[in-house]
Amino acid sequence: MNPSPAIEVRDLSKRFGDVEAVRGVSFSVKEGEIFGFLGPNGAGKTTTIKMLCTLLAPTSGALRLAGFDVTKSPEDVRRSIGVIFQDPSLDDRLTAEENLELHAVVYGVPRAERRARLDEALAFVELSERKKDLVRTFSGGMKRRLEIARGLVHRPRVLFLDEPTTGLDPQTRKATWEVLRGLRDRNGMTLFLTTHYMDEAENCDRIAVIDHGRIVAEDSPEALKRAVGKDVVFVRTNEPAALCAVLAERYGLTPDRTEEGLCFRVEDGEAFVVRLVSDVRVAVTGIAVRRPTLDDVFLALTGRQIRNGNGEAGRDTMRAMARRR
Amino acid sequence: MRAEVVYHLARRDVVKFLRDRQSLVATLVRPLLWILAVGFGLRRAVGTGAIGVDFVSFLVPGVATMAVLFSSMFSAVSIVWDREFGFLKELLVAPVPRATLVFAKMISASVTALLEVSVVLLVSPLFGARIDPLGALLAIPVLVAFGMSVSALGITVASRMKTFEGFGGIVNFLIQPVFFFSGALYPLEGLPPALAAVVRLNPMSYAVDATRGLCVGVHHFPIPLDAGVVLAALALLGTLAVRSFSRMQA
Repeated sequence: MNPSPAIEVRDLSKRFGDVEAVRGVSFSVKEGEIFGFLGPNGAGKTTTIKMLCTLLAPTSGALRLAGFDVTKSPEDVRRSIGVIFQDPSLDDRLTAEENLELHAVVYGVPRAERRARLDEALAFVELSERKKDLVRTFSGGMKRRLEIARGLVHRPRVLFLDEPTTGLDPQTRKATWEVLRGLRDRNGMTLFLTTHYMDEAENCDRIAVIDHGRIVAEDSPEALKRAVGKDVVFVRTNEPAALCAVLAERYGLTPDRTEEGLCFRVEDGEAFVVRLVSDVRVAVTGIAVRRPTLDDVFLALTGRQIRNGNGEAGRDTMRAMARRR
Repeated sequence: MRAEVVYHLARRDVVKFLRDRQSLVATLVRPLLWILAVGFGLRRAVGTGAIGVDFVSFLVPGVATMAVLFSSMFSAVSIVWDREFGFLKELLVAPVPRATLVFAKMISASVTALLEVSVVLLVSPLFGARIDPLGALLAIPVLVAFGMSVSALGITVASRMKTFEGFGGIVNFLIQPVFFFSGALYPLEGLPPALAAVVRLNPMSYAVDATRGLCVGVHHFPIPLDAGVVLAALALLGTLAVRSFSRMQA
């Protein structure tokens, strides 16, 4: 209904002394879109979000949010946004309800609507029964849900989420995403989030891949994966050296040795595997073909593996090392 | 500035102050220890000649002002806590002018300080102090203004301090001379010139003087001058606090 984009960023830069944390970033986010900033820690994600939320003044560049100039009318911007920070930002010596109530007052939710909004937000994140309890008695996941509820109380047009599911267990992460998608689908809220989880980025309508303060790609997850193109093939064998030689000679491939076997990239992996098995005399003990993931996208774009904080780090690092050789 | 926002922000601090039972009791009892130990300890030696009233009566307004000083200054530590536990970001991203946040903090500081003052003034007759009830009521606005200015100083320090220890260090460094050079414990008549000069520069001296004048009828400066100095300190320190707090980045 509003033709102006929810977020519009042009040539945004931020310098801290000698360090250029964000270097000339431009993008725009449509109303009702889920837009993700994907990048490793230290890529400039949080710095960008802080500038969008009026918490940090940009060194240069133009920022518009919900039609307002972020540097010129910060209070209009603050009224239009909700922010769910990377680190906890609740008062844990107040009850869940008190936290939300203070938020509602500060954001000017009319008194007559306050109770209904609070109850609705608490019900939405399934914390109604704990509303009279001090937040310090909550688990990490409950605190996260309460922060999401708080971000919704004033019905912002744009909700910012900095690493929304970091430190949450898989079930809670899944539940959190259901909540977030529900928000967009039901209320048409615009979501801007940062993440270094690849699987989380899959939930976005559009992703900007950010590395060293620059956007290196921007598209839908599917399109990004398509752009990387090739399928990834893993072949297990007891004679890796022999198979390597064959792959190099006949197909011009230079496979990486990984835990899961020899790994290489080809167009249409399934067809290639059929051909390979009939062609080659080396005994193959296992084969796997997979479509490119965002991990592969990131690797292809930056030459580096993104660090995954969810227990896959070991495997990913090994794979990255194997690939780098 | 929306009054409701100030009310809710200040209420948060007061609720937390009242919720922490152990430290509440300790805070309320501490000034009474001063009256008991120092008041009764020195009462005989001091007599009434030099000060015009019984020493315990003389001391009670000083201790009440001291309670405001300590309580208001340390209430600003909540800013450091809020930064440490992340709540400060929630406040800074809210559509509320920074001055409102500062003002609310000053209000909550003076409310908690007033609770302590009330205990001191209500209990002191049990120790034999002769406090004029009407005068005590008139002293309350002076103590509120003084408490707000002290908390403004605390906010200024807290806005520039990144750590709890840093805040504690600076505040202790500030609070001792302000307290000892204020006339909270001794009369201002007949002081050595150097000490008298320092005392005259200290805004707390005027807060103590006004409180003492109104509560027990003994004072050194004209009370309108006392009130004027306290208000001037409030204006100056309040401006400084808003400026420091606004400059702070999350």
